[in-house]
Amino acid sequence: MRMLNPHNHLVWSTRYAILFVSIGYAMLTVFLSSCSADLTVHREKRLAKLSSFDTKYSIIFLIHGDNNYLYHDSSGNSYRANEEALAAARRVAEENSQAEVFIFHQKPASNFLFFFPIKDGEYFYYRNGMLIENDSYWRNQEQANIDFEIDLYDQLRLINHSNLIRMFVYLGHEIPEIDGVGYDLSYPDRTFTVDNIAHGLKNFTSDSAKFDLLILSTCYGGTPYTIGKLGAFTNTIIASPENLHLSYFDLSALERLDMTLMDGDVPAFAIKVAQQSFDKLTSDLQTEVSVAVYDIKSVQKYLNSVNNEYNNKLIRLKDKTQSSLAAMERCDCADVPAYQRSTISEGVEVFYRAARFGRLKNKESHSGWECWK
Amino acid sequence: MKAVVGFLTLLMVFAFSISANADGKDKIKSYFSKTAIKVNTTELASEKREILNESFQNMLNVIEKVQNSGLINNEDQAGIDHFKAALQEKQDELNGTNGFERVPDAQLNAFSNYMVQDMEQASITISLLALVVIAILLVVFVF
Repeated sequence: MRMLNPHNHLVWSTRYAILFVSIGYAMLTVFLSSCSADLTVHREKRLAKLSSFDTKYSIIFLIHGDNNYLYHDSSGNSYRANEEALAAARRVAEENSQAEVFIFHQKPASNFLFFFPIKDGEYFYYRNGMLIENDSYWRNQEQANIDFEIDLYDQLRLINHSNLIRMFVYLGHEIPEIDGVGYDLSYPDRTFTVDNIAHGLKNFTSDSAKFDLLILSTCYGGTPYTIGKLGAFTNTIIASPENLHLSYFDLSALERLDMTLMDGDVPAFAIKVAQQSFDKLTSDLQTEVSVAVYDIKSVQKYLNSVNNEYNNKLIRLKDKTQSSLAAMERCDCADVPAYQRSTISEGVEVFYRAARFGRLKNKESHSGWECWK
Repeated sequence: MKAVVGFLTLLMVFAFSISANADGKDKIKSYFSKTAIKVNTTELASEKREILNESFQNMLNVIEKVQNSGLINNEDQAGIDHFKAALQEKQDELNGTNGFERVPDAQLNAFSNYMVQDMEQASITISLLALVVIAILLVVFVF
């Protein structure tokens, strides 16, 4: 019987393990790359069937799904808000025969067989109701930006955007005004703030006019800072100044823009979307519901008058951790003397219903602006 | 070989920790949803109130255990205190204590749905470790 040298045994075991992993990885790489079709050729073929003259609307959906988005209905059925949002966005894309629609779905990082990372983003590009391209992509893992999405948008979008009605829809958790650590569950050290989304919007609008409508389907979107920052890239914003349940705004009004936006009156359309969302949310929820439409030109007076006060407050909060920030109370700006101005309601249309329970159940109205206490 | 095993173990822990974080929050949300279902399917108001009280109390006890475990850092204490305060406020409203009007019997179903929806939209800023411990204690002591 041959005696095994323990050292040799260790060396050979290690070599076999490395060899096994390498072969597995190589096979997987070959398998995965064989799955990806030549997207450019397919894209060109599909686009050739379409005329860009038929396109009147351009919509970008950015759906954040890399965090906890579970919610339940009153029967106990569970839903993932990001998946519901994706289905709603795809319906909008398929039902609009005169729109180009980009959908970016930011998913949690995951691994195949524990070790092989799977792409954590997926995009869909539709034009005039037809799916032109759908593929996965790697999100930026280190920097909190949306550069990949912007690059892809620049590659695919219609060249002439000047005559299109343009909308941007963001669905996700509250976008933090400061700190922003832990927004992505998969990248806990990465930060994501309103400044990052503003930077993204700047690039989406770099060579053409502002967006006509921005829909911010998140909690606490209606703050002076957020509206001020994002308002630089759009004419109208729909946002919730208070908490917004994960069932989000109702997007069904966007499904047939040829009918709901026939006259091209975007501010009136925004009111319609807000009203519809408010009706849907109040019929389903016991919690507070607030949906506000901000006419960016008309809210400037109020924003300019509270800008310094609000920014100073943010500076004072800068050293706070995410947990302490979450514990800090926020309220209607109209209830804080420092933010009370005669111009507070100029340019804001608010749909509000207080929570059925809780300390504020008797609150009758909301200014549409949310501030830190 | 040890290095390879160590490396693989680390990778598995990393892969597990991401799903554990999401699962911890899911567990808390599902816990409240199950309570609401029980309340909605119970006839008597006194029983509905008892189910809600028991549910709040169980969760508060679990949080207490986590806070006393010595595993929680200062940062977590702030997040857990916030979560606890939100729960306590709801229990106070249910029973009409600490300045709250007592939730009327006829509104207990709606109140249980409010509890679920409010906890779902609340930002739970608790670290991975605390969430995992809460999830484990919920399974051990409550489910």
